[in-house]
Amino acid sequence: MIILRIAWRSLWRNPRRTLITVAAISLNAAILIVSYSLMEGFKEHAVSNATNLVVGEVQIHVPKYLVDRSLYKSMKDPKAILSTLDRHDVPAASRSYGYGLVACENKSAGALFWGVDPTAERNVFDLAKHMGEGTFIPNTPAKGIVLGKKLARSLNARIGSEIVVVVQAADGSLGNELYSVTGILKAAGESMDRTAAILHQADFSELFVSGGRVHEIALNSKGKLALDELATLASQVAPQAEVKTWRQLMPSLSDMVNMFDAGIWIFGIIFFLAAALGVMNTMLMATFERMREFGVLKALGATPWRILRDVAVEALVLGFVSAIIGTMLGLGVSYYLMKTGLDLSMFAGDYSIGGVAFDPVWRATIRLKTVVTPVVVMWMVCLIASIYPATLAARLNPVKTMVRV
Amino acid sequence: MSSIVNIQGLTKDYGQNGVVTHALRGVDLTIESGEFTAMAGPSGSGKSTLLNIIGGLDRPTTGRVEVNGQELNRLSSTKLSRLRRDRIGFIFQSYNLIPVLTVLENAEYVLMLQGVSAAQRRERVRDLLKEVGLEGMEDRFPRELSGGQQQRVAITRAIAPEPALVLADEPTANVDSKTAIALLDLMRQLNEEKGVTFFFSTHDPNVMKQARRLVLLRDGRISRDGGMVEGLDTE
Repeated sequence: MIILRIAWRSLWRNPRRTLITVAAISLNAAILIVSYSLMEGFKEHAVSNATNLVVGEVQIHVPKYLVDRSLYKSMKDPKAILSTLDRHDVPAASRSYGYGLVACENKSAGALFWGVDPTAERNVFDLAKHMGEGTFIPNTPAKGIVLGKKLARSLNARIGSEIVVVVQAADGSLGNELYSVTGILKAAGESMDRTAAILHQADFSELFVSGGRVHEIALNSKGKLALDELATLASQVAPQAEVKTWRQLMPSLSDMVNMFDAGIWIFGIIFFLAAALGVMNTMLMATFERMREFGVLKALGATPWRILRDVAVEALVLGFVSAIIGTMLGLGVSYYLMKTGLDLSMFAGDYSIGGVAFDPVWRATIRLKTVVTPVVVMWMVCLIASIYPATLAARLNPVKTMVRV
Repeated sequence: MSSIVNIQGLTKDYGQNGVVTHALRGVDLTIESGEFTAMAGPSGSGKSTLLNIIGGLDRPTTGRVEVNGQELNRLSSTKLSRLRRDRIGFIFQSYNLIPVLTVLENAEYVLMLQGVSAAQRRERVRDLLKEVGLEGMEDRFPRELSGGQQQRVAITRAIAPEPALVLADEPTANVDSKTAIALLDLMRQLNEEKGVTFFFSTHDPNVMKQARRLVLLRDGRISRDGGMVEGLDTE
């Protein structure tokens, strides 16, 4: 305890210098906690947006379907796969896809038609909640259609507008039908915004004469199961199929998440270096001021290791005080940013990165690692920064530091 | 009596910018356990250098120095630290108390280095502080004490671990003559009652008079060992 007492009292020999150092390290720790929480929030938001909206954590297709999205590359027994997944308590939704033309009054555009099970989409994904206007298609087939935001705009379509659809059906015939717009999606990524035309799976089957073909089963445990675990289960349930995780389906998002992890470390290293210089400066000044005192301690029998330890303990105490203040400050700001968020709508309205739509309000996510990692690393930085001054103190010659013994 | 310090043929040279200074030029000295020895000599005669070498703070150029049966040249820096911690007490001219520690904490510092339990060292140090007349001042900081009081704390710190030898470099140089005599009385009392061996340097003839043995150092050599103080020219 006497070591801690010496360390604590020594720090306050020069209160102004100590306070400035504590303020600098605390601020560094707080900035790191807030930045890490914001980055983690952005990452989690991006991943959860991407997976919960439509992609899911894992998707099952017939092999090479994603290379050639042919209407004919459909799954053999999707109902059996869905029922097995249901037995394993893994939420999933099936989808059918086909290309065609949509027209509203005198405007027309190409579209990717989605045949979805509205009940499953409502239960497993957030697509049904992601409506900018109107409502998602009803659970029973009623010739309703939901359009992507930009597609609706290019067609001048409104809620209730009649949409004429022309497609090449599976039997080679020309399928056409009239649908009523029930809803227009919010921004959901560039591709969906420009091309998505969502129908009830039964309406889709009738339009494309596809006989209930299913092209995709998307699994979404919402984080309850680990990604690898889910992919393994999907491979077991559909051994002949191609199973891909969201990281494989959206490599740009996966790379972005990895880059964010790297970014926080690069950002962190800059701040850690700044903190290390602050601590080293304080400890060096304190050591030079107390050379005589260290000489006396060595004369009294303190070993070099003991002196080294005393200086290091002082730096650790400095780091500890700073860590507490920094944590409180960082947690406070992060909590505010988690609850209220950072509204970036004045800089960007609806925006998407890597095909994933983002809410313009950027929220922080507080995790144990977003708080503990900066604090622990900052503490270690304090310790490392004290090694040089501590070594100087430990190696000094007591006779030279004391004018007379 | 057994010898606590045994020095043979000790020399110490300092070199700076090619100029060699011979601080000690062949010192032979034996100090027996329980002695109360003063060392006098003009400034630059090598008193501090000799005390530093006996205390293991400096290394000799040539010669053999044995303290408490251990030849210092053979000891590593860490072993020398342990020898100082366990067997040698130091009293410095300018007290050299740790300013952030209280009287009690300063006095118990070496015991703490030795790993003595808090309760034991507190008990021992409180008794000693009472003996040196600092009872009731345990929680004061050095800045709140007079020079004489600070030196009493330093003496307590030096004798608390019950060392075989206490080395003191001009322990009374920074206090007035009345305090100097009082401090010497205290050191002598500790020597007589507790058997602590003292070897101290001084300029002050009044302090020399208190010693039972006087060693006179001149130009790095012992010019006189033993005898009365009267008539000595120490400057």
